Amino acid sequence: MEIKDFQSKLFAKGKKKGFREMETYYSATKSTTVNVLDHEVKNFAITEQRGISFRGIYKEKMGYSYTEKIDETSIELLVAEAMENAESIEMDDKEELYAGADYYESVNQYSQAASNLSPKELIGAAIAMENTALQVSPFVKRVIQCSAVKGEGETIIANTKGLYCTAKYTNLSAGIYLMASDGGQTTTGYESDFTWKEFVAIDSRVIAEKAAQEALSKLGANSIETGNYPIVLRYDTATQLLNAFTSNLSGEVVEKGFSRLQGKLGEKIAGANITILDDPFMEDAPGVAAFDAEGYPTRKNELVQEGILLSFMHNRKTAKNAGRESTGNAAKSSYSASLSVGPHNLYLQPGQTTLSELITETETGIFIVELQGTNAGINAVSGDFSLSAIGFLIENGKLGRPINQITLAGNLYEVLHNIEAIANDLRIKGTVSSPSIKIKSLTVSGK
Amino acid sequence: MLAERTIENVLNAAIETGGDFAEIFVEDKISNSLNMIGGIVDKAVSGRDFGIGIRIFKGFFSVYAYTNDDSENNLIKVARSAAQAITGQNQDIVFDLRKNIFKNAHEIKIMPNSIGKKQKIQWMRRAHAAAIGYDSVITQTNIAFTDSMQHVLIANTQGVLAEDMRSRNRLAISAMATNVSEKETGFVGPGYFGGLEYMEQLDIEAYAREAARSGKAILNASFAPSGQLPVLIDNGFGGVLFHEACGHGLEATSVAYKTSIFTDRLEEMVASPLVTAYDDGTMVNTWGSLNIDDEGMATQRNLLIENGVLKGYLIDKLGGRRMKMAPTGSGRRESYRYAPTSRMNNTYIAAGQSTPEEMIASIEFGVYAKYMGGGSVNTATGDYNFNVREGYVIRHGKIAEAIKGATLIGNGMDTLQKIDMVGNNLKHEIGMCGSVSGIVPVTVGQPMLRVAKLTVGGRKEDK
Repeated sequence: MEIKDFQSKLFAKGKKKGFREMETYYSATKSTTVNVLDHEVKNFAITEQRGISFRGIYKEKMGYSYTEKIDETSIELLVAEAMENAESIEMDDKEELYAGADYYESVNQYSQAASNLSPKELIGAAIAMENTALQVSPFVKRVIQCSAVKGEGETIIANTKGLYCTAKYTNLSAGIYLMASDGGQTTTGYESDFTWKEFVAIDSRVIAEKAAQEALSKLGANSIETGNYPIVLRYDTATQLLNAFTSNLSGEVVEKGFSRLQGKLGEKIAGANITILDDPFMEDAPGVAAFDAEGYPTRKNELVQEGILLSFMHNRKTAKNAGRESTGNAAKSSYSASLSVGPHNLYLQPGQTTLSELITETETGIFIVELQGTNAGINAVSGDFSLSAIGFLIENGKLGRPINQITLAGNLYEVLHNIEAIANDLRIKGTVSSPSIKIKSLTVSGK
Repeated sequence: MLAERTIENVLNAAIETGGDFAEIFVEDKISNSLNMIGGIVDKAVSGRDFGIGIRIFKGFFSVYAYTNDDSENNLIKVARSAAQAITGQNQDIVFDLRKNIFKNAHEIKIMPNSIGKKQKIQWMRRAHAAAIGYDSVITQTNIAFTDSMQHVLIANTQGVLAEDMRSRNRLAISAMATNVSEKETGFVGPGYFGGLEYMEQLDIEAYAREAARSGKAILNASFAPSGQLPVLIDNGFGGVLFHEACGHGLEATSVAYKTSIFTDRLEEMVASPLVTAYDDGTMVNTWGSLNIDDEGMATQRNLLIENGVLKGYLIDKLGGRRMKMAPTGSGRRESYRYAPTSRMNNTYIAAGQSTPEEMIASIEFGVYAKYMGGGSVNTATGDYNFNVREGYVIRHGKIAEAIKGATLIGNGMDTLQKIDMVGNNLKHEIGMCGSVSGIVPVTVGQPMLRVAKLTVGGRKEDK
C-alpha cells in the first residue's frame, strides 16, 4: 500500500472517530552490511524497513500508536490504540500539532554516489582493512569484527494542519575491532569512520592502523596504586562522559524533576572555560537536520556559555510548560517511540592546545583511552560515576607504561568545575562530542 | 502467519544459488507501554512490529535479509537478492515442512490485550502510592508498565516449521529520594514470561516500598572505599557477575571465532571447585525462558560449569558449524531485525552450603554488594565490570555503613577462581541483555557469593 494512500485513509478514519488533529511520522531505511573474517566475507546483510507512527488529539489529549504493517488492517489498530492511549494520559499539556514554518534551513545529507555504492566496493574495503590490520604487527592476532556498511533512509512528517517535512539521507561507514596478544596478555582495539558523501572519504588503511596501534599500545598493562591523580581524557572517553551528562540539559528531564540543573538557568554550573553548543547545521555532522521530530525548524543553540547555564533543550511541549520557545530539539528514537527531547550535534567548544601539549603539561597523571561500563557505572541524576578504565601513566609530561584493571570515579557536576584544559581535537562522530580534556583530579582505584 | 506454500517458495528461492540451508522468521508483535511520573500518566504508546527475516548459509558463510512486506512476490525478491551473495550451484535440497507440535510449557492465563489500560494504570498507581508514602524523602516516582505478545513463525530447509506465542509483562518502579543537594533513585522491576495473572497476584506495594527503601538508603550512603577488598555479592541480581564474567565468554558468538578466553577449554578447571553453573531456558514462566529458541529448536537446561570444570558452551546453528558441536537451544534475537546468535536465557550459579550469616561474619573488612546495576565485559580479554547500586561496608564480621555507586572490576577466569564461599540461598532476578543480536530478556541468578579479592572502584575525597 502506498504511504500517501494509507495516510489519507488513516486521517479519514481518525476524523470519523473524533480526532481533532492528526499527524504521521513515517520512516523508511535500507542498509547493506558486509562483515569480513579470515580474508573472506563472513556474513552479509540486506535490510529494508519502514514504519509509521500516528499521533492525534482525541478528547484534548495526545494519543500515540505505531505499526510496521502498512495495510488496511493496521488503520483500525492505529486509531483504536491511539484513542485508548489518549484516554490514558492524565498530564494536562494542552498540546497542539505544529502547522509548519515558512522557512527551513537547507541541509545536505544525501548523496547519490553513496546510494549507488555496490556491495563489491564494501567487500573490497572490508577485506583491505582486515589485511592492513594483520600486517601492522605479528602481535595483532585476530580480527573480531571488520565491517563496512551502506545505509540510506527517508523521513516524512505530515499532519492535518498542513505540515509537510521530508528528508533523505545516506550514510557510509567502516569499522574494525581486533585483538592483539604478546603470549601472556590479550588487548583489543577499535576504530571506525563514516561519511554521507563518497566512499573514498573513508580511508580503510588509516582505520585499520589506528585500531591495531590502539591494541598494541595496551600490551603489557597492569594496575596502579589507588589514589587521586590528574586525568587526561582522550576525546572519545571525554565524549562518553559528556554524553551521560547531556540528559540533564533536556527540558523533559528537567520538567520531571530528574535533573539537578532544574531552576539553575542563568547560574554558573561549570568553569568559565566551558561552553556547550548544539549545532544542527555543521557540515558532515551525523546529526545534521533542518527540522526536528515534530517538524519544528532547528537552530544553533548555546546551552552553556562560559560556565553559565543559558538554556535547556526543548520540544514544543516542554518549551510551553517552561514558558519558553521550542529549541527544535524534539526527538524520536524510532517510529515506535513517543516524542521526547534530544540533541542533534551537541559539543563542548574546543580550546587552543593540542592533545600532546595537554600531556606535556602534566607532571604526573593518567591518560585515559578507554572507559567501560557506561551503561551502568554512571548515575546521570546524581552525576556520580565509577567506570572501568584503560590508559597510560604520564610521568614528567611523557606517556609511560599502559595501565589496566583500574576504575575512575568522580562526579560529572564536579568535573565541569575542574577542567583545567581543553584540547583542539574535537571529532564529530555522533550526536554528542567532546575534545580531549584535562581534569584536575579523579579517584583511581587499583592495587 | 504465512501459507506453507509461500514459505516453501521463499526457502527454495533462497537456496537457488547454492546455499546449503535457509530459514525464515516471521514476527508479529503487539507492544504496549505506559509511563507514570509522580502518579500522573504522561506517556502511553502501543503498536505493532511486523517483519520477516530470511537467512541463508553456505558452509560458514551467512547472509541475512529482512523486510516488512510479507507479500509472496516481495519475499521471493528479498530471498533472491540475499542469495545473490552466494555463488554456486543449486544443491537441489529437498525438504518437507512438518509442523512441530509442542506443548506450551509456559501458561498464559490472561492475554495482555484482554485487559484495558485503565486496569494497568491502577497497578501503576498502587506502586506510586506505596513508594511516595514510604518516607518524606521520597519526592518523585517513575513507574513504567510494559507488556507484549510476540507471535513468531520459524521454518527452515531442515523441515522445521514452528509457531509460538510469547507473552511478557513487567512493572518497573523507580523511587527518587532527595535531600538539599542530592537526588538518588531506588529501583525494582519484577516481570514475567506469561500472562497478566502475574500482575494480579503481585505484591505491588511490597516491591514499591523496597524501591523506596533502597532510594533512601542510597541517599544516606557515602562513597565506597577504593582498592582491592573481599566482596560479598548478594543473591538474585548479583548473578550479573557470572553473566558478565563468564556467561558472555561461553557464547558461540565469541567461542566459535576463537575470540573468547574460554575457547578450547572444555573439561579444564576454569573456576573455583565451589562453582556449578547452568543456563536453563526451560524454567517455567520465567522471564528469560522460551518454548523454542529463535531458530525453532526446543530450549534446554545446559550445564556450563560443574565443580569448577568447564562442561559446555551456548551454541547457535551457525556457531555450531564452526565448532562442530550441536546447538544448545540458545539461538536468540531481539526481533526480525537481527540474525539470531547464541545468547543466554536464565543463567545462574547453583546453591552451595554456606549460610549468609556465616559469610558476613567471615569478613573482617570488605564490601557487601546488595543491589547491582548492570555491567559489561570484553570477551576477548575477559575484563568485566558491574555496578553496585546499594552496598554496605563490612567491619569485623558485621554489616556497617551504606555505600553507593561503586563499580567492581576484574578478569573473568581470575574472579571465578577467587570465589571461596557459595551461599545456600539461590535466587533469580530479571534483566535485559544487549549483544550482537539485540536486546533480549534474561534472568541472572546466584546464591550469595564471597569473592576473596575484587577491585572496588570507590572514591577518596580530595584532601
